[in-house]
Amino acid sequence: MNKTYLESLYALLDALGGEKEKDAIDTAIKKSRDFLEDLQVEYTRLFINGIPHVVAPPYGSVYFDKSLQGKYAEQVMHYYCSKGYALTDKADFPDNLIHQLEFLSFLAEDKDQESENEFLGTYFLPWFETFSKLVKKEAQHPFYRIIITLIDFFTKEEKEYGVQLNEA
Amino acid sequence: MAFNLTRRKFLQSASLAAVALPLSRAIASESGVKRSPLEAKGSFKDETVVGGICEMCFWRCQLVGKKRGGRLVKLEGNPKSIDNGTSICARGNAGIKLLYDPDRLKFPLKNVGERGNPKWKKISWKEALDECGNKLKAVEDKYGAKGICVFPHGSSAKYPMHFFERTVGTKNVSEASFFQCRGIRDTAYVATIGKAPGEKVDMPNAKVIFLLGGHFGENIHVSHIKRYLKGLQNGAKLIVVDPRYSASAAKSDIWVPIKPGTDTAFLLGIMNYLIATKKYDADFVDEYGDGFEEFAKGIEEWSLEKAAAACDLTVQQIKEVADLLADNAPNVSIHPGRHVSWYGNDFQRQRSLACLTGLLGAFYVKGGWVPAIGPKVGKLSWEHKEHEEEFNLNLNSDDELYHPFTPPGTPTELIRDAALTGKPHPIKGCVIWGQNPIQTIPGQEKMKNVLRQMDFVMCVDVMPTDITMWADILLPEVSYLERYDYIKTGTQWDLSEKQQQFISARMPLVSPLFERKDQVFITNEIAKRMGYEEDIPVKTAKDMVEKNLEVAGLSLAQLKKEGGIHIQPGKNPYNMPDDFEVVFFNEDIEDAGFPGVPTYKPVEEPPAGFARLIYGRVPVHTFNRTQNNVWLHSAMPTNPVWLNDELAAKMGLKDGDEVGFINQDGIKSRTTTIVKTTPGIRKDCVYMGHGYGSANPLMTVGVGAGVDDTSLVTKIAVDPETGANGMRNNFVKFIKDGKIINIPTAA
Repeated sequence: MNKTYLESLYALLDALGGEKEKDAIDTAIKKSRDFLEDLQVEYTRLFINGIPHVVAPPYGSVYFDKSLQGKYAEQVMHYYCSKGYALTDKADFPDNLIHQLEFLSFLAEDKDQESENEFLGTYFLPWFETFSKLVKKEAQHPFYRIIITLIDFFTKEEKEYGVQLNEA
Repeated sequence: MAFNLTRRKFLQSASLAAVALPLSRAIASESGVKRSPLEAKGSFKDETVVGGICEMCFWRCQLVGKKRGGRLVKLEGNPKSIDNGTSICARGNAGIKLLYDPDRLKFPLKNVGERGNPKWKKISWKEALDECGNKLKAVEDKYGAKGICVFPHGSSAKYPMHFFERTVGTKNVSEASFFQCRGIRDTAYVATIGKAPGEKVDMPNAKVIFLLGGHFGENIHVSHIKRYLKGLQNGAKLIVVDPRYSASAAKSDIWVPIKPGTDTAFLLGIMNYLIATKKYDADFVDEYGDGFEEFAKGIEEWSLEKAAAACDLTVQQIKEVADLLADNAPNVSIHPGRHVSWYGNDFQRQRSLACLTGLLGAFYVKGGWVPAIGPKVGKLSWEHKEHEEEFNLNLNSDDELYHPFTPPGTPTELIRDAALTGKPHPIKGCVIWGQNPIQTIPGQEKMKNVLRQMDFVMCVDVMPTDITMWADILLPEVSYLERYDYIKTGTQWDLSEKQQQFISARMPLVSPLFERKDQVFITNEIAKRMGYEEDIPVKTAKDMVEKNLEVAGLSLAQLKKEGGIHIQPGKNPYNMPDDFEVVFFNEDIEDAGFPGVPTYKPVEEPPAGFARLIYGRVPVHTFNRTQNNVWLHSAMPTNPVWLNDELAAKMGLKDGDEVGFINQDGIKSRTTTIVKTTPGIRKDCVYMGHGYGSANPLMTVGVGAGVDDTSLVTKIAVDPETGANGMRNNFVKFIKDGKIINIPTAA
């Protein structure tokens, strides 16, 4: 979290017409004694170990298998491999939100629209839907709500081309 | 919240180019995904890894792990094992769910809120270790080593415990396994036969198995249970003394529904009867006994009638037990028990068990108490250093021990009282490692007050247990499936079979996930920061295990080659050592001001309207350690309270009714559980499984599930000889729909 990052984020929000969001972050910064610590505490609470309980673990397996590194993680890994990708040594579990987004960005780079849609529809969106609802509902800091909304924005298909979410 | 644009429009617009470049610069590229050659589908390798040693409980069965593509999918008993064999229990199987529990601690956390009401912030290991090292050093500088206390539990806690005890020099160390569990048993047997007894009874070859409070089947240790069941299969008679019709009582030939707290009277009655009727093993006592005359005289008042009255039993019930034992002596297994910190009169009861074994001549004989001869391995750890200032909270101003027969360490209450009063010295630094003193040690408020007055509290654990809410720094430890440490040795469990010894060592079945670290790394880093770098005995946990194996001429590589377990020829375990003796009357105990002959001391009776709260194990949980495990929770989500059915009818309660509790000090349970009515429990007590109802909301599965029995144990009893806690001297009434219901005890 530095000046460049914030400026870029603001630019993105401007481009999207997200004035309210920009204001929310700005207000949070002005009100805060230590903005970074606020983010760290909230990050810990939302994604690692939180009171009253971790709000939204950023791993798909937790939603599919009620476990870390469950069968879903294995399936996601299989998918990466089938498209010619692997995880680096220092990587987290394959089903981590970040890795899935990274993978999607690689597919976008490859202009492999078909795989992008398949991965989004089959693996990513079904749990991200639940995850993002949880974060938006529970986040006490605007930053995370906004970031999740951005991910939502960039990964969700428009209605007319939409995928059917697996609500089960 | 929605943006003004649609995604498609945005991607098509020029705005994308305007923001994409600066944004990509701003986001650090720490990618975990990389391009790699295409792999064929289904190319994940399935493999079996060896070297696992379970720690879902402390029996430590030998495991292999089935893995698929780096993911542990199943745990099984190691087929090479001559201990647990291919069997593991429900908890062992559920180790997978601990490993991958989303609630597990993952990164070092700093409490930026208050103790007990934490606000966690993820921090770096460097910051966490600096903080721990500096804060503990500050306590040491200001108050001396005596200003630090340690609450350790489990095999990974040994290394840090030795660091603080031997190198830093604090004696304020209180292990739950001693002061809230089996320490009394060990010191009572040491005072009687010179050795801690373990659970070394040759049950497969016994004619009678005698359990006092032991409830095998609810308390499961695989090879221990195998011994027990083999004994029963071979036709051993089973005597179970328990106020409750336990799983063991259900298999018994004689169930003795004894009044809680009176066990010593029962044993004295039996022993006096055996002596008076000359049914004891006079030859054995002549040869190996010491102080028998004083002993016989000391217990002669204990007629069967007197014992029967004290224990609320009939003369016939006690006589039947005594005769069955005598008729089958010496091939009888008098089990020493395991969790024995019951009533604060426990040392004398454990002494009685050892003396009874002696009267029956049941040491080193088939079916008796027989310590098998296992192999030797190294015990590398921190060396004992000389310390300028010696102190011991267990010593009074005349240099006499308050509790002379204490297990190693310092009795918990002495540490807590010193912390609370600042006398004889303040205790301001606290290290908690793998132990959960909130749900283990009686007097939760007392424990909280102890923690409140600390300058610094550090906690190391795998799960966010109740105590972790009180830490300033909370460090995530690797689990037993991700680390090196424990070396398990032993022999085949049926001593009549071919004599064999085994050696196995705990090796990781998977690499640690997240930023979890092991005990050697954490302790060494703290030691460096406290100025003890030169004393560090070993660089890594793996090195420690290698060096300990070297003593037995082994290595980790060799063990792996041998399937995780090395097996070698054993020795005949039934040979009596030359110096063996049974001290019936112990002069040292008498000199220390306690009864040298086993003596019964009555405990407080339940007040009117209350019943005694007794607790025990359930087969699918280990203490409070497994309460968040989702498989085990599903198997037994709550701890129903056992209530005598006749009382239940009078109280208007039926099976499944939801109740809470209030104890004699007016303390209410935070949560509720359900009623289980049964004729299989006495009317003066109620029973529940221990280790439920976590207060920590971070435990999403275990929080508030069932009732935390420890929260109701507010009256603190201490066994005078050992200083260990007696935890079944608290009394409860029920609460239903907000109304308090008296228990008609005199019914």
